[in-house]
Amino acid sequence: MTSFWAAALAVAAKDMKIEWRTKTAFASAIVFAVLVLAVFYFARDPTAVAALDIAPGALWVTFTFAAMLGLNRAFLLERENRALDGLLLAPIEPSAIFVGKLLGNLAFVGVVEAVSLPLFILFYDLPIWRQLPALILVIAMATVAFVAVGTLLSSMVVRTRFAELMLPILLLPFLIPPVVGAVQLTSRILSDRPLSDLAGWLKLLGSFDVIFVILCFFLFEATLDE
Amino acid sequence: MSGSNATLLAREVSRKFGHRHVVRDVSFEVRGGEFVLLVGHNGAGKTTLIRVLAGLLKPSKGTVTHTGDIGMVAHSSMLYDALTARENLAFYARLHDKNSPELVASLLEQMELAPHGDRRVGTFSRGMVQRLSIARALLPDPEVLLLDEPLTGLDDAASRIVRGVLTDLQQRERAVVVATHQLAELVDLASSVGFLVRGRLEAIEQIAGRSADEVMARYRELASND
Repeated sequence: MTSFWAAALAVAAKDMKIEWRTKTAFASAIVFAVLVLAVFYFARDPTAVAALDIAPGALWVTFTFAAMLGLNRAFLLERENRALDGLLLAPIEPSAIFVGKLLGNLAFVGVVEAVSLPLFILFYDLPIWRQLPALILVIAMATVAFVAVGTLLSSMVVRTRFAELMLPILLLPFLIPPVVGAVQLTSRILSDRPLSDLAGWLKLLGSFDVIFVILCFFLFEATLDE
Repeated sequence: MSGSNATLLAREVSRKFGHRHVVRDVSFEVRGGEFVLLVGHNGAGKTTLIRVLAGLLKPSKGTVTHTGDIGMVAHSSMLYDALTARENLAFYARLHDKNSPELVASLLEQMELAPHGDRRVGTFSRGMVQRLSIARALLPDPEVLLLDEPLTGLDDAASRIVRGVLTDLQQRERAVVVATHQLAELVDLASSVGFLVRGRLEAIEQIAGRSADEVMARYRELASND
């Protein structure tokens, strides 16, 4: 039997290669991210609303909805020509497919975030270089939580006729806890609040990561049964 | 049916979707070197039975056991259109722990696809996709090869290649099960034929030199008795 990590990395590398070659989801996600950041920027009256009041919400609306475009695509790839059957016929742990998809999705969302974050800083003219490591940590923690749930739900809805529609409907309720935590933390970080102010939300976000990843890992096999 | 030394053994296998039985109490065994044709009208349960035998569908009742790896060729190719033929095979080779460029090259050669190895599968004709799909199924050097309508969409030259592969498998004592409507092109290779009528395997008999017309006459006789 192929080792767990070799299989997971093969699946992730394959997904990234296909996305690199087609760039369909990536282009959509980046265009969407730029559009949302621009809309939030131009909708704000700078004399009435401070940038810091709107920036955390704008950032997380951008990240979560842009990410959804990639999450949707993750298992649609496997629906094409029923490639998922090929994965299931291979002598690998089904959970290795989940981990591979999770890694591929994290890479996709990570790149979208890496492109969007400088634009966000630029649009809101935020002098946050000192707080940047903390902000990146929060982004990474929240991303792991919602990408884990998104990957699982993507595998659940892929056999339905309206997979693209179903994913956001099912995913959004699960996004509320980590995204609320991420918005709270982002707001505090951008306001340059002390580290002690962040500890509670960071622990909560960390807990979501552990719970979501473990739950999704063990539930994944059940989503494969026809 | 003793079941001893069987490469593939199905015992009282049933599969239903909702309340609809698609496969009912199917029992049979295939040994290395045997070539079984599964014959049945559309909707007789051939594809479902093949998917259950491959392990892609769990039987609602009964068991399927096999030795070694299973290869499967289905209606869908299980290939990725955005990857080249070589990349597709290399990906599946990694999943089967056979990460060997030489193996991939030899399979492309065997299926007469070597000149097209670096072309994206999305640009292939139906016949080329089918040949590559067979190469994918042969990657693990399976003890059992299951094929669902393997000659659909193939021209004479491609059919000749596929027949060559099936003959080679027989000579190497591999078990082959083929569900097909195109009896005339495969009946001379087969050692036995299973007659599937409305989900039941009504009989499994030696070919014993019968022609495709004689096999179909026998099928009609069994179907009318059902």
